[in-house]
Amino acid sequence: MNRKEFLSDCGKIGLTGVTLSLFPWLESCSDKTRQQTSGEKVRMGIIGTGSRGLFHIQHLLQMPNVEVVALCDNYLPHLDNASQYFPKAKRYDDYRKLLDDRNVECVIIATPLYLHAPMTIDAMEAGKDVFCEKSMAYTLDQALEVYNRRQQLGRVLLIGQQRLFDPKYIKAMQMIHQGVIGDVVGVRNYWYRNNDWRREVPSPELERHINWRLYSEYSRGLMTELACHQLQNGSWAMGMLPERVMGAGSLVHWKEDGRDVYDSVSAIFSYPNGVNMTFESIISNKHFGMGEQILGTKGTIDLVTAMHYTDEPAPRGSGIHQLIEQIEQGVMSNSVFAGTSWAAETSSLAAGRPIMQDVKVVSGESSVGAEADGSKELLEAFVNSVICGKQPEKVLEESYYATQYALLADKAMHEGAILTLDEKYKIPYEPLK
Amino acid sequence: MQFHYSSKNPLYPMASCAFHAMHTRVEMLVVGVERDRGEELAHMLRERVCDMARRFNRFDMTSPLAVVNARAAVEAVSVDDELYMALQLCEVFRKGTYGYFSAAPTLKGAPFVLCDQSHEVRLQSEDALIDLGGFAKGFALEQIVTLLRSEGVGMALVNFGNSSIASIGHHPYGEGWGVGVENPECRGMQAFEVRLCDGAMSLSGRTPSGEYHIINPHTGVKVAQDEMILVEGRSPLVAEVLSTALYAAPASERATIMQSFGGYVATEIYCRGANVKCRRIE
Repeated sequence: MNRKEFLSDCGKIGLTGVTLSLFPWLESCSDKTRQQTSGEKVRMGIIGTGSRGLFHIQHLLQMPNVEVVALCDNYLPHLDNASQYFPKAKRYDDYRKLLDDRNVECVIIATPLYLHAPMTIDAMEAGKDVFCEKSMAYTLDQALEVYNRRQQLGRVLLIGQQRLFDPKYIKAMQMIHQGVIGDVVGVRNYWYRNNDWRREVPSPELERHINWRLYSEYSRGLMTELACHQLQNGSWAMGMLPERVMGAGSLVHWKEDGRDVYDSVSAIFSYPNGVNMTFESIISNKHFGMGEQILGTKGTIDLVTAMHYTDEPAPRGSGIHQLIEQIEQGVMSNSVFAGTSWAAETSSLAAGRPIMQDVKVVSGESSVGAEADGSKELLEAFVNSVICGKQPEKVLEESYYATQYALLADKAMHEGAILTLDEKYKIPYEPLK
Repeated sequence: MQFHYSSKNPLYPMASCAFHAMHTRVEMLVVGVERDRGEELAHMLRERVCDMARRFNRFDMTSPLAVVNARAAVEAVSVDDELYMALQLCEVFRKGTYGYFSAAPTLKGAPFVLCDQSHEVRLQSEDALIDLGGFAKGFALEQIVTLLRSEGVGMALVNFGNSSIASIGHHPYGEGWGVGVENPECRGMQAFEVRLCDGAMSLSGRTPSGEYHIINPHTGVKVAQDEMILVEGRSPLVAEVLSTALYAAPASERATIMQSFGGYVATEIYCRGANVKCRRIE
């Protein structure tokens, strides 16, 4: 089954089977919903037309049911870039003016983290449906405020957690919930890069404006920019939320350029059943790249490569087996098995099996985005939801907790403490299991 | 133990078994036997090998070999006939390979003294530690082949961890048993071909994970050579010992060692990626 077929099947089986209970939000990009929304069009505004905004624009250009009618950025070169794709769209340098534009039905917000919550709330209050990049907010309080306001206002709100729409993750989670790897006993996430995480700055006074990710005034660094994507893996796989969070972070390499967010972080998320999920990120070594692995008593699923490894690998065809087959068929040929000594097939050496065909593996090196990582499907789900006027189920709660635990881990690192999520931040959460 | 019986080819029904012993996997294929007989042979073979493995295991503190290692440096230790014979053979091979095979490779020279009358062994030094790892597989194969022949088996192949293989008779559809030596750098690719007919082969070299593990008894350090040494000949024990000794010996001395072993053929196999170079040692 390839990606296209799988997505199509999400529509077919998702509405009737177990899949929908695990992934209810997929209804928003199913064949059935596509048919319902066919011929309809949404008028969209884009707030933030930097690199991530342009990434979304590439997908929007392929979507016939979207008309981009407004663009907003307070950095002119970015606004000019976006205008090339939508020359008829109105241009704004203040997002509030765009929100006043009654022609705009919904918005994409792809701005620095510290602006996510206020812009999202303002947009919903202006009657717009919102797709906001992750993380949902800059603080725990802001995330709660965004969630509560959405509940009050009833607008469609999706956060840019594209893994929730990535077919290989969906297939993997389906297998995990079916018990293919046994009981989940560990979740490993890591994201390594070796670059300074900087964008080119044409003029020194624009440093903090362009490189906002590096400054804690605007960003929570690696936890909100990277970890947030991976932290939903544990709750998705186990159907529960972490109980305790601990971690350590430091600036170990990129110390000289004035940044104040960590360039090396390690965090542990401990679940009520004793299982730990880890997240590690270093941006001065990229050897291990990006990894997300669900460890079970019977095997492991690597979410990034969409591979399944069993803990009891079948031995590769032994020489004796080859000979038996030959004699059974009345033939003789060489059996290639002699070597310097027998080696046990350990899991780490045993070849895994792909969980689906046609998988595109994302390296995690780009800080803008990657093809086939679920982003397009997420955007499509948003557009369909806007047309149908229906918030996809459960997906906002997953995004909410991914943000809260990313923020909580960042707090734990700064305080050197083991933290639990305060009761006041807990929202109704129905486990996916 | 895994046991399998196949009568898909009615002309040549087959029994096969596999089990773990001596830190490796042992496999046997016997052709032309009834199921019950095949199962009986498989159990006999397993019992024999496991018993030998236990008694030759220096890590098992209750084994006769462990007792020798623990006490024979301070007093002569009496051992059973089988272990005594094994130690005798080790000493013969040590001398026959100019010291490049040794049951105590970390010690230069003769590691022990044997007393034929009392079947006692005395270690030459407190540092001497007898390890039959490079000997036991060949010794076991020798006994398995003898056992199977005495039980009337005419076609069989026994594989001891892929590195030591012995045959009885030939493949039902060939003049020998075709065994391909795998290129360690290209999994599944054949680097060399061997035809076994009432013969054996042994292969020495780096471990599959690439580690050097064979010690040169003259220097006491691990040999860091990348080629494999293949020895073919009648006796699985000789093949086993000889491949270890030739790997431990410098290339310049290998031909000299081979002069003492008429009827055996040794080949150096060097693999670099998919490229393979083979050279007969003579």
